[in-house]
This record gives sequence, structure tokens and C-alpha cells, in this order.
Amino acid sequence: MANDLTFWKNRVHVETSREDLETNRADLETSRRDFLTRMGFVLAASALAGCSRGAVQKAIPFLIKPEETMPGVATWYASTCGACSAGCGLLVKTRDGRPIKIEGNTESPLSGGGTCASGQATVLSLYDAERLKGPTWLGVPVTWQDVDARIEERLRAAMAGRHNLVLLSGTIVSPSTRALIAEWKARVPTFRHVVYDAVSFSALRRATGACFAIDGLPHYRFDRATTIVGIGADFLGTWLSPVEFTRQYARRRRPDAAGVMSRHYQFEAGVSLTGTNADHRVPIAASQQGAVALAILRRIAIEAGVETGAEQVDGAIDEGAVASAAEDLWRHRGASLVVSGSQDTATQIVVHAINALLGNIGTTVDIESPSLQKQGDDRSLAQLVDEMERGDIHGLMLYGVNPAYDFPDAARFARGLESVALTISFADRLDETASLAHAVCPDHHFLEAWNDAEAVTASYSLAQPAIAPLLDTRAAQDSLLKWLGKEPDFYAYVREFWRSHIHPTDARGRTFDELWDHALHDGVYHRDVPAAKTPPFRPSRAFTAAWQSAAHEVAGQGRSSAAPAADRYELHLYETVAIRDGRHANNPWLQELPDPVTKITWGNYLVLAPSLARRLGVESGDVVRMGIPDAQIELPAYVQPGQSPGTVSIALGYGRQHAGKVAYGVGANAFPLVTSFDGERQYHRGGVVLQKAGRSEPLATTQAHHSMEGRPIVRTTTLSALLSEETEARPEAASLWADREGGPHRWGLAIDLNSCTGCSACVTACQAENNVPVVGRDEVLRGREMHWIRIDAYTGGSEDHPETLVQPMMCQHCQNAPCETVCPVAATTHSSDGLNQQVYNRCIGTRYCENNCPYKVRRFNWFRYAQNEAFDFNMNNPVGRMVLNPDVTVRSRGVMEKCSMCIQRVQDGKLLAKQEGRSVADGDIKTACQQVCPADSIVFGDLNDPESRVARMRAGQRHYLVLDEIGTKPNVGYLMKIKNRSEA
Amino acid sequence: MLRRFVFLATAIVCLISAGLVAYEMSRVGVHQGYAPEQPIAFSHKLHAGDSRIQCLYCHFGARTSRHAGIPPVNVCMNCHGMLTKQSVDIEKLKELVERRQPAQWIKVHNLPDFVYFNHSQHVISGVACQTCHGPVETMARVRQQAPLTMGWCIQCHRSRQVSGPHTPAANLDCGKCHY
Repeated sequence: MANDLTFWKNRVHVETSREDLETNRADLETSRRDFLTRMGFVLAASALAGCSRGAVQKAIPFLIKPEETMPGVATWYASTCGACSAGCGLLVKTRDGRPIKIEGNTESPLSGGGTCASGQATVLSLYDAERLKGPTWLGVPVTWQDVDARIEERLRAAMAGRHNLVLLSGTIVSPSTRALIAEWKARVPTFRHVVYDAVSFSALRRATGACFAIDGLPHYRFDRATTIVGIGADFLGTWLSPVEFTRQYARRRRPDAAGVMSRHYQFEAGVSLTGTNADHRVPIAASQQGAVALAILRRIAIEAGVETGAEQVDGAIDEGAVASAAEDLWRHRGASLVVSGSQDTATQIVVHAINALLGNIGTTVDIESPSLQKQGDDRSLAQLVDEMERGDIHGLMLYGVNPAYDFPDAARFARGLESVALTISFADRLDETASLAHAVCPDHHFLEAWNDAEAVTASYSLAQPAIAPLLDTRAAQDSLLKWLGKEPDFYAYVREFWRSHIHPTDARGRTFDELWDHALHDGVYHRDVPAAKTPPFRPSRAFTAAWQSAAHEVAGQGRSSAAPAADRYELHLYETVAIRDGRHANNPWLQELPDPVTKITWGNYLVLAPSLARRLGVESGDVVRMGIPDAQIELPAYVQPGQSPGTVSIALGYGRQHAGKVAYGVGANAFPLVTSFDGERQYHRGGVVLQKAGRSEPLATTQAHHSMEGRPIVRTTTLSALLSEETEARPEAASLWADREGGPHRWGLAIDLNSCTGCSACVTACQAENNVPVVGRDEVLRGREMHWIRIDAYTGGSEDHPETLVQPMMCQHCQNAPCETVCPVAATTHSSDGLNQQVYNRCIGTRYCENNCPYKVRRFNWFRYAQNEAFDFNMNNPVGRMVLNPDVTVRSRGVMEKCSMCIQRVQDGKLLAKQEGRSVADGDIKTACQQVCPADSIVFGDLNDPESRVARMRAGQRHYLVLDEIGTKPNVGYLMKIKNRSEA
Repeated sequence: MLRRFVFLATAIVCLISAGLVAYEMSRVGVHQGYAPEQPIAFSHKLHAGDSRIQCLYCHFGARTSRHAGIPPVNVCMNCHGMLTKQSVDIEKLKELVERRQPAQWIKVHNLPDFVYFNHSQHVISGVACQTCHGPVETMARVRQQAPLTMGWCIQCHRSRQVSGPHTPAANLDCGKCHY
């Protein structure tokens, strides 16, 4: 099953990073004199330490212990994630009253136990030292009474004078909050609500309204699709509801379990996480999304026998790929799905038409229970900004938005703000917009507040406080209730809403308190919707007319965009998996998370194709000046195989000025480059000029770090080869080591490379669980990032159509571990449960083990990363340290560390079984990386038990061990990646 | 002769002092016999010894948690709310309740941060509290009886056998306590 492609980690970066390492080596030279000085210091220090008595430690019990808290035992609360509008169900782990870890709620029908990297990191945002400690008025801290009095006085005046009041918010998926806003509207006739998403879906929303007459977005079902075509939609990484979509997508990527594997075509400009997972990835220019959709529509329409009335757009589209995609779509009509990330309404209507002609409406495109995410409307925001400029807005409340940073013409927005008599922000910090507002009434962190969510119609979830508010903050809803003259008790309001709106439809005959208690305990609640009253979707005459005219419009757009000049390029703006729209930019875990595609940390960059880089004479790291008529931006270049040759990509969300010291000055803000077309904000544009700036800035990439030097580590095959091939019997290689005496368990992991998308949620989960420190950009440049699990990306094939494979790599817990044999002090040993253990207090830091590890998974503490001014991240302040897991040691300087296979969870699982007087059952223990995985790609279990899930996976045809030939006998195994390529 | 004597004497002195230094060094961080004065002179002898109150009545955490825990004042008041006998120290306790301030006890048994110890694991396995804490029921002021060194832990872990089908033997894996 060998593959015929040679995979490399990155040709360009292997060179540059080696150079970096060479230059760094010079700084590390130690003379004999330095050595003796340090030696003397160490001797003196240890003698002094020996003379001193330990400090007196106090033990302070509770005065009156709350019943549900037991010091040292975790309490779990079901809640809802507030990181984005997807509202994934969560279980929050609290220890001694502090939330320390977020896990997905397996009861959730949408996210089903998965979470994403930013969701994982929100627990650290709770302990962000930059959060406001209380309300402010004109930048001065005041009391709540004071700020309320000032605001209420002005609001009364505005209401009396019938002046316009506006609430500008991000998407609100909380039905209770929406009810509260509706109450404001009813009570204050001049009040209105404008919704604004920094990354807008307003075209898809408009198209959905036009085609299906619903106010929402379709609820896509990737788990029902055998053929998936993505046109510029990064649905596994950042688009709409990535956790839910990854979970659905992964279900169709298990050829041995389901027997059916989906085939995925992706047409896109930049290389996205979704693109790297596609069976066929076709680079297109950012402006060609409409043309691709139209080309597919034309072919589907011919099959369906419908007239499109639109001619083909000329342009360099890969007709072969379009043809085979259309053929697969038609073959699996009713079980196929086309999605597009376009911000052009006509294109989105064309995409809806394709799905309608394929009979996908009602199967993979659910319009019965639409998604209520991304409610932003670009036109009403544009109108609001006009009104602000004219001085027509008297009061403006800003809730969950930061337009002074992410509105394309932020300066114009700021000017407009000046003419508003009363601006109130609910931001948790003095961000770009809040620092311009009159009053800042800081909202709780979502882990401190009551809330509810309905991201998809009829799928509810509740959020409850997992900690009392740390600071003098107040829920934004409480503020809104207070100013409306009502009791500021949003908890009561949510309950009342559920009593009056949700309980009446509950079909299980429970009292309201029973329903509430169950919903609160489970975290999620599915409303029983009466049997479908709407007949199955049939394309009406009006619908056909609508898409035919949209197709005509798309064709017209294609024609009017004349062939661009040779030195003009297209720009494509995208969200990264970690930073998204910039909201979580001050979170050091997310800043240090290597991007799933480029593996770059701490900053954004200009992505360009190898052919374009050659033409411009730039290499990765060279700063490029990118000019458009009204703006200029300078960023280091990153050469990315597979990037569309005529399009350069820049990530949004960076360049925050007022988010806090972690985010300050990291990258450049690309939001000013967003344009507008037909009333919708556009994340691509043409006419871009590129110029070398003549300097370079190193990119903190982890791509070439911890390389296994070109050995066959990641393996792949095609579905047809897998199905036709016989299982090879692997001969047992001779071993130099004596067989180990086995214990009652042999813990192991099996990782399915086929369902793993590389989303990197596991990296952040591991960081949160195991107190992995943040080291900062400079140390990443030196190759010293501390993540215990990394996602290796291997690229093969041609530079225009590369194939990317990802592989999570952590300690392989070898039965015959090379690290153990070289440790001079036995600080790394083997446990009776098959784990390779690292004992920090024994380690003297020779780093022999790191050098002898063939998998390069060991990490050395070059510095003390906690309580050290040089590493001014969360571990350097007492609030930030509250997130640390008390069951895991914070490592000191000079010791080695690595994946422990979450030994604290293994111990905990064993203890729980012991307490309950039973044996550990399969599935009792989940490692942090396994728990977080939305694709369910990582499975932990006992290899001694042949019935365990992990043992069954290991017995499968696709299973292999990395570097099996060197005889390390790892307890971590992988299931080969399968590409389901079209034979045509 | 004198020279030889001086040489021998010096050698002996050196050896003894080296031995003493080595011994002292090996005792760094070992606080056997540590018995600090507590803010309230609580007597385990009176409560656990004379009155025979079960250890787990006050240190209920030892059953389910890694920490045995010091009882919250409401547990003290379960009895002292009803008992009429007064003393200076009981007055202190009641004053704390009135001021709504918890007592600030001095921790006697300290393990280093890199050691994970779980009380419940040992209580379930039938290890008596006195095995590690000594005859607390005879102590008017609690003192650290055992050295609490790794060698001392290991001694016990080596000797203990499988005690039941679901309570595996105490083993010697490093990762049992260090992670």
C-alpha cells in the first residue's frame, strides 16, 4: 500500500529555518569561564537552599462549605460556548470554583462533544488580565449606580424627544435576549436593532430569503452527502459552524466503518483547511466563484432538462474538474451538497438552484429548521453609518461588536460616533470601539453568565455560570433590563421566557421545573416540532425565474470583468482557524497555535503561489508592499504551493491595537481592504499591485521544526486501492530488547488520519489540560515551542496541485523507547501500563532523550515560563494562572517534558472505577485530544483488551505504526489516509 | 608520630563532617517532627482520642477527594453549637463564625508540588490514617510523624499486595505520583 508520492514538510522553509537555527547557535556559545561562573553559582545556591527551612504554609478551609463543592474534586457544569455564534454545547470543568477546562457536551445534537481551538481557549479569556474591572464613564472608572444614572437620564431625554436609539450587535443566537430586544422595540418606538457580523454572510442570507422565503440560513447536513462541492467555503475551518460540519463530514470519511466514503471537491483561491482535506482541490481566482457555480449549474441543468438561459463565462476554469464534479453530483442527486462562501447574492442563488435541481433541498440542505447564525445585514449597517454621519442617531449601544477595528472604513465609523450623543459599549475591555464610547458597561464572560442559545431552529442550549463574576461586571442583558426599568435579573428573564415560549410545546408532559432542571442538567434541549406542515420543497415558477435571472447576472459579471493587466493581482481575505475575526486576538494560546495550513504562529502574512513568488523574486519572509488604490499594507510573504497563481491571500483578525498586550502589534489589520459590491461586503478584490519592500521579517513557523528527516511517516492510499488490496501480513521484526512484562493494562491511542482534518483543536486542548506554557514569537523562531501534540503537514505532488496530508504527532509511548535507554538518571521510564513516563523532579536536562527520540516529540524547558517577566503571558500574572490544572505539575526550567497520554486522566479514571468497585471500562477514560476532537479521530483505550475500540482499530486493514521498521513498538498507531479520487 | 596523629585526626574529622553534611543534605525538605503552634489550640487527643470522633467525620474529603481537607467551621459548629462547655479556644472559634472569617491553620504535612497524592485512593484501599499520620489520637498538638520521603512511600508500595479484583496493587510506576 505504498504511495508513489514523495511528501515534504516544506522545501522553502527547511532552508530558512536551518539558517535561523545556525544564527541562534552563535548566541548560545559558552566559554569555559562562563561555565565555571555558573557552576560556582549553582553550588552556592544549592548550599544556601539546603540551609533554609521551608516556608510556613497556611491551610484555610471554607467557613461554611457549599454542598456541591469538594476541594480537589472537579465539578462539571453544562453550558454553551460563546466563542462564536455556533453555540456549541459545553461541559465546563471547575476545580475549587474555578473553570479550568472546557469540554464538548456529548449530548449536543449539533456539536456532539467536539469543540474547536477557539472554544477551548475561551477559558483563558476569562482570566485575561486586560478585562475591565468595572464600568467607566468617559474613560474614568465609576460605580454602576453612577453610570446607570447618567445613562438613564440621557435615555429618558432621548425617548422623550423621540430620538433614534440603535442597538448594534453581533449575531444574537439567544432567544431570550432576542425577546428582550423585541421588548425594547415595543416599548421604545424609536429604538431599532442592527446586526453586524465582522465576517458577513449577508449574501447567503439574502439568497436564502429570496429562494426559500425563510429568515435564516439553510442548515447544511454534510453527513448526508456522498458528493460534496465547496466553492470558496472553508466549512471545516471557519465557515458558519465548523465543529458541527467537521463532525458530520468525518462520519462519511470512514471507509471501513460505513463502507461509503464521500467524495469532496473544493474550488478555492487560498489553501484552506477544507481544501487540504478535499479529494480534488482546484485552485481558482477569488473572483471565479460565480463562474464555477454557473459552470456546474449549466451541466446539472442539462442533466435535469432545464433551460438555464445563461451562457458560459469565458475564463480559465478547470473544465475537467467541473465536469467530474457535476457528474458525481448528478449521480448522487439527493445525497450531494454544494456550498459557497461567496458574498454575491446572485452566486448564492445559483448555488441554491444547483442544490434544488439535484433534489438536495430537504436532505442535505435543511430549510425546515434553518440555522439562525450570522444574522448580520450589510445594508442596514451601511445605512446606520450614513445616519450616524448625518447626526440622525442619538444613542448607540454596541454589544459584541468592534466596528472601529473591523468595519472596512473604520475612520468613517469613528467620525460617525462623534456625532452620537450617547454611546454605550458592553465590551469586556477598552477595545478600539469601547475606547471611543462614552460609557463602557462591561459584560460578563460567558462562563460567568446565564444565557441560552438557539443556533439551529428548535435546538436549544442553556448557559449557566461556572464561576461568580471575577470582576465588577454585569451581564449586558441585565443592563438592558435595568435601563428599560425592569428588574435586572436575566436569570429570571430566561426562565420566564422558557416557561412561556418553550414549555407549552414540550410534548413530554413535564412541569416547567422538571423541564428546566433537565435542560439545565443536560445543557441542551430539543423542542418537539410538530410534524412537518410544509410540503416537500418543489421549485416554483418564481424560484426558477429567480435563479435564471441570477445565472444571467453571474454570467454578466464574468463578462464585464475584463482580463486583468499582467501586473494586477487579486486579493482574497480569509479567517484563520485560530484568530477568526480577531475577537480572541489577546489569547496567547490562539496566537501561538500553528495555523493548520501554514504552521505559522504570531502574525499574518501575504500568501502567494510559488510561480508568482518567482515572478516577483520574493521568498517566504521577504516583506511585500501590497497596494490598492486607497490603501497600502506591508506584510511578509509566505509561499504556499496550491495557492491560485493570480490571487494573494491575507488573514483577517490581526493588527489589533487595543485588545491587550498579547495582541498588540501582532500582524497587520486587513479589514480596511474589505470592499463592497451590491451592498454586500466583499472579501476579495482585484487590481492589487505587489512590490518587494526590500527587507525581510522572519515568519515564526513550526513547519520545519521537529522533522523526522524524510522518512515514510505519513501514509496514504486511494479508496479503490484499499478496497481491492489484500491485507498484508506484517512480519514481526527481530528485537534487541527483551519482551516487557505486561501489566493489567496497556494504554494506547489509535488515530484515524482519514477523518482527521488537522483543525488543531487538540493542540489547544492539550495546552489547557497539561499546563503547556506559551513561549512567544522569538522562542518559536528558535524552534522552542512547547506543544505536546503537533499537527505535521506533509505536502506532495506538483506545486500547483499539491496534496497535503496532516498527522497529529505526540509521544508514541514506545514499548522499546529509545529515550529511556539513554537517560543517565532514569528520569524517563516505562510504566506497567505501557506508558512512557517523564519524571520532572528526576530530570537533570541532559536532553539525550530528545536527541534520541525518532519522533521528535520531546520538549525542553529552556526557561522558567511561569512567573517570568520575559514571558509575559497568562502564567506571569496571578489571574492568568487561575486556569492552570492543579493535577499537573508546572514544570521548572531545565527539565524535559512531553505527552503523558493525559496520565492524570488515566489515574482519575482508574480511581473512579476503584471508588465504584468495578474495573475500568472501555471509553471511561478519554485523553484531552480525544475529547475535543470534533471528527472523533483519536481513540484511547486498553490494547490488552481485544474488544476495546482502540484494539479493534489497530486490527484494521489501514493501521500502521510510524517508523515501525526501527522496532520501537509504539502504543500509538495510525490509520492510513484514504483519498477517494475520481478515476476520470 | 605526631604528624601521623594529626593526619589521622584530620582525616577522621573530615570524614565525620562529610558524613554529617551528607546526612543533613539528605534531610533537606524533610520536616519529620514538625509541630507548629496553631491559631486555635485544637487537640486531636481530646476529639479523636478521648471523644472517639471518627477521623472521616471531620476530614470527610479523604473519602472522595485527593485532599482530606480541614473541616469547615460549620462542621465544628455541628457539636459546638450545642455544647455548653466553653474555653478560650472555643471562644476564638465562635468569634471567627461571627466575623465570618475562616481559621488560618498552619499546614503540617506538606508534599512538594511535583508529587500527586490522593487520600481517597489510600482510604479505599484500607490504609489506616495512622499509617502515615502516626497516632494522631494521642497528639494534643499535631506533629509530622513520618518523614514523608519518597523512600518511605516506596517501602509501603513495595510490600502491599493486590487487595481485591478492582483494587490493583500499589505499584512502583513513577507516573503513579509524578506528573
